[in-house]
Amino acid sequence: MIGYSPEMIIKRRWISFFNDLGLQLLALYLFIIVPALGILLAFDYLAGQQIQADVRANDLSLARAIALETDLSITKSLQAVEGLSQYPSVLEVDADGMGNIFNIFLQTRPDVNLIYRLDANGEMLYHYPVGPSSTVGNDFSFRDYYQRALFSQEALVSMGRISPTTQQAVATAVMPIRDGQDFLGIVAINLKLASLSETLEEIVASRRPEEDFDIVILDSSAQIIAYPNPDFLLQSADILLPEVYAPLLAGKSGTRIEVDINGEERLYTYTPIQSAGWGVIVSRPTATAFATQITIHQITTIVAVTFVVIGLLVWILLARRVVMPLERLSSLSRAIGSNQEISNRERKQVNRLSKRADQIGHLIRSILRMEESIATRINEQGTLLETSKAVVSTLDPQTVLDRILEQVQKLFNVNMCAIVALDEEHNAFRIRASRGLSRKYAVQLAIQPTDPNSITMRALHAKEPIQISNTETDSTFAAQRPRAKAEGYRSILAVPLNTQHAPPAALLVFRPDPHVFTNNETQLLVNFANHVTMAIENATLYSRSDNRLQQQTRRIEALVHSLSDGLILSNLSGNVIYTNRRIGELANLSSDELERASVDSVINRILTKASTPQQIRQRIDDALSGKKERGVEIPLVSQNRRIDLRLQVFDVTDTQGKPIGRGLILRDITADQEVDRMKSSLISTVSHELRTPLAAIKGYATTLLADDVEWDTASQHEFLSIISDETDRLSALVNSLLDLSRIESGNLRISHIECSVPDIIERAAKSAHLQDENNLVLALDPNLPTLYADPPRLETVLRNLIENAVKYAGEKATIQIKVTPEESAIVFRIKDNGPGIPEEESERIFQSFYRVDTSLTRLASGAGLGLAICKGLIHAHGGEIWAEHQKKGACIAFSIPTANPDTP
Amino acid sequence: MSTNSPTVLVVDDEKPLRDFVRRNLEVRNFKVETASNGLEALAIFNTQNVDLVIMDIMMPHLDGLETTRRIRQTSLVPIIILTALGEEVDKVRAFDMGADDYLTKPFGTGELLGRVKAVLRRARWSEASVTNEKIVREDIVADLERHEISVRGTLLNLTPTEFNLLVYMMRHAGKALSHRSILQSVWGPEYGEEAEYLRVYMGKLRQKIEKDPLNPEYLLTERGIGYRFKG
Repeated sequence: MIGYSPEMIIKRRWISFFNDLGLQLLALYLFIIVPALGILLAFDYLAGQQIQADVRANDLSLARAIALETDLSITKSLQAVEGLSQYPSVLEVDADGMGNIFNIFLQTRPDVNLIYRLDANGEMLYHYPVGPSSTVGNDFSFRDYYQRALFSQEALVSMGRISPTTQQAVATAVMPIRDGQDFLGIVAINLKLASLSETLEEIVASRRPEEDFDIVILDSSAQIIAYPNPDFLLQSADILLPEVYAPLLAGKSGTRIEVDINGEERLYTYTPIQSAGWGVIVSRPTATAFATQITIHQITTIVAVTFVVIGLLVWILLARRVVMPLERLSSLSRAIGSNQEISNRERKQVNRLSKRADQIGHLIRSILRMEESIATRINEQGTLLETSKAVVSTLDPQTVLDRILEQVQKLFNVNMCAIVALDEEHNAFRIRASRGLSRKYAVQLAIQPTDPNSITMRALHAKEPIQISNTETDSTFAAQRPRAKAEGYRSILAVPLNTQHAPPAALLVFRPDPHVFTNNETQLLVNFANHVTMAIENATLYSRSDNRLQQQTRRIEALVHSLSDGLILSNLSGNVIYTNRRIGELANLSSDELERASVDSVINRILTKASTPQQIRQRIDDALSGKKERGVEIPLVSQNRRIDLRLQVFDVTDTQGKPIGRGLILRDITADQEVDRMKSSLISTVSHELRTPLAAIKGYATTLLADDVEWDTASQHEFLSIISDETDRLSALVNSLLDLSRIESGNLRISHIECSVPDIIERAAKSAHLQDENNLVLALDPNLPTLYADPPRLETVLRNLIENAVKYAGEKATIQIKVTPEESAIVFRIKDNGPGIPEEESERIFQSFYRVDTSLTRLASGAGLGLAICKGLIHAHGGEIWAEHQKKGACIAFSIPTANPDTP
Repeated sequence: MSTNSPTVLVVDDEKPLRDFVRRNLEVRNFKVETASNGLEALAIFNTQNVDLVIMDIMMPHLDGLETTRRIRQTSLVPIIILTALGEEVDKVRAFDMGADDYLTKPFGTGELLGRVKAVLRRARWSEASVTNEKIVREDIVADLERHEISVRGTLLNLTPTEFNLLVYMMRHAGKALSHRSILQSVWGPEYGEEAEYLRVYMGKLRQKIEKDPLNPEYLLTERGIGYRFKG
């Protein structure tokens, strides 16, 4: 309760009965004590009742006994007086006789002091003893007993009074004397009330004085008839008693508790005396009457109070010694649980409690130890967390390692620590990062992976922590001892790092004193090492992926940069964000200039090389504004070379499709245009090649058909043979074109048939339209091996070459065909004495559809196609074709392998 | 020069074709000289009196177009180009170089002779127009006698066909003339379908007489019909 504000306790008590041990204990105590007290009180009550009933019954029986005795005495008196009335002397009022009788009577009855005889008128006739003062002759007719006796047949008792005769308090037993119906007077005896009181006194004396019995007999007029103290005789009952006699005088008996005139509570027991109409009242103080009950009551009370007091004491004791410490414990554990600090006062109390020797003290000490250990763990976790944070907060592996070591210093409270890792370059373990170690040591330390004494290597091999608790005594450390002394450490703990991607490494902690690292410390360093491993791995992977990313970026940049197409990226306001190298070349701007340029200025720079910049500019502006198609062709002339560019504009959008800039690609379509030109050149060439023989055929055919001219037979024959020849040429050309197409698609099939070189040359020359003035010279080596070739194809090759020679060298040209064996091939050389082939073009002339210059000159000859066909066919034979440089004229040479591939 | 037998220079690297043209012209009383390439042709042209040149485009050493251009530098002799290429670009290039007409291979005897005659006739017309007439259309003045046309005081260098075409158009200024009527009137009755001739020649004339050839002032195109000289 101490340490809590009252509201808080009440609140807590109400809210958490089942959580409060003190309350539960109280409840348990009440659970036991309340029934016990109940039983005790019930017993007390019932016993009290019983005792009261007993006391009342006892008093009642006493009262009844007194009443009975008195009654007996009165009855006896009545009988006596009745008996006296029978005496003749009494009847006859014989004084002597009465004297005798009365004398005898008086002898036997000490309680009687006077016997007398009244006549019918109530006049005293005689009394015995005659006494000193005689009342003979006195009229006593006023007496109540006389009045009553007048109408009574039986004996009766009077009320108490002072006898005038004896001067004593008496009650009178009266017997009316009758003779038949005649009333003759009465005979009466005065009963001494004092003697009745004596009896009572005796009774009272027989009781224990502490009972304080008080017995009183009242007559029917509530006068005190008998009382131990005679002073009260014939007094009214009022002076002695509270008003308890009414029921008694009504003839009832019973008990009542009343407060008497002295203010004392008494138990009054009353019972009537039937014969006299009197009553007995026995009274005693309730204190004595119910003493037993009171005693029981007192015992009960004492027991109950004792119970309560002991209970309270126990409860207080429990609360102070058990519950309160428990509550403190619970609040402490709550504070630990919610990681809050308890107040200083509470801390003091807890500390005081922890000094107790009993279980509570033990428990508190345990919890305090636990708290300490939790705090340590939290601290460790915090350090580990900080390490993790340090790991993710930077990409630089060295920074990560440094931060880790910083944490190790804090965590282990050491000055020196290091991370040793394999230096893959030198194949030695070196200090990657260190704290508190000398620079010299950090730089120079190099552990060979094979070193059996190195603690690092031992830990790495064993894959578990290794420690040297005292460097001075450890035998394995002998070699390193000077080093340790120099650095000032006496104990080491080495933990291997379980690296996978990073080189193997270990974490080392040094202490300046001999120290046996505990299991806890080792385990902590192992845990820490796991974090370190993670950190190193992360950093390694990070740097690797970073490298890779950079590499990739560089690669992409290099790629974009080296594109033959120009690329400009601009923002929405038209400023250049990126350009590749090609743009720099096209615009002739440095990269610095490009960075500051606008797209417009870059385009204008490029257009300076265009022939009609304004028109193109207009089209580009249309494309940029998106009005028209977004592709514009830009013909430029750069360094006397025609360059065709195609500008394509595209919007650069973000992931939501919102435009963030614009891209311009300037594609160099010069080559495409070239291909286009080559394609149309092919068509032109083929068309030309086909139309040439066709023209001859049509020409001669129409010549023959012309009506206006009559040709002679020889001419007609000549024309028809030309038509036939040209048809053959056409057909051969078509075949060559087909061959060429097969060659291009790689589907040409060549047969290898043994053939005669002179025959093939002859046939070729014949079909080559040699002019009359042409001179064909054959030079065949006599030692030619057998030639295996496809005759029609080889003939085509030769014919094409001869025709070319004729065309280029002119009608008077001398054409030499030289065939020689060379290594494993037969080489044909076709030379002419024409202008020759420019050396720089000797390679290109063999390309399909290639024209030596842009003019139609060479194409006109069909040479492009012809040589291309030759090249294809020779390659199909497995040979080579080339142009040989010579002083005068052209020389085309080709080789056909001698080995026949069909006969292995 | 003999009016009865004009001299025709036939230039072709293909002997069969050369012979075919030669034989047909010779048999019809033309005097024929032959050359197998441009260089030979220029040599003959420079040494002999030639009334007509029939020349293949594609030849070794010096092609037909270049040869035509060189001939045009000194002479207005009619030139018919022979070509195996049917493309309009080639025709335009031929006309640009100064050719008067062309024949696409293969061609028959009839076409050959028709063109030869027509070209010779046109050449004769322009030479023979001895009328003392002068046609003036705004700042274009055609002096038929002197065979000269000047634009804004500058003398134009025109081929016979260009001269004939421009004079014809100026004579009929204000009238829309159909392709056919122009062709038949200027080139000859053998013509009529060769609308591309007109396109080429109108273009060439516009280059020569118009201030802005792309927005002609004088030679106007009547879409779907033909042409009209501003009148």
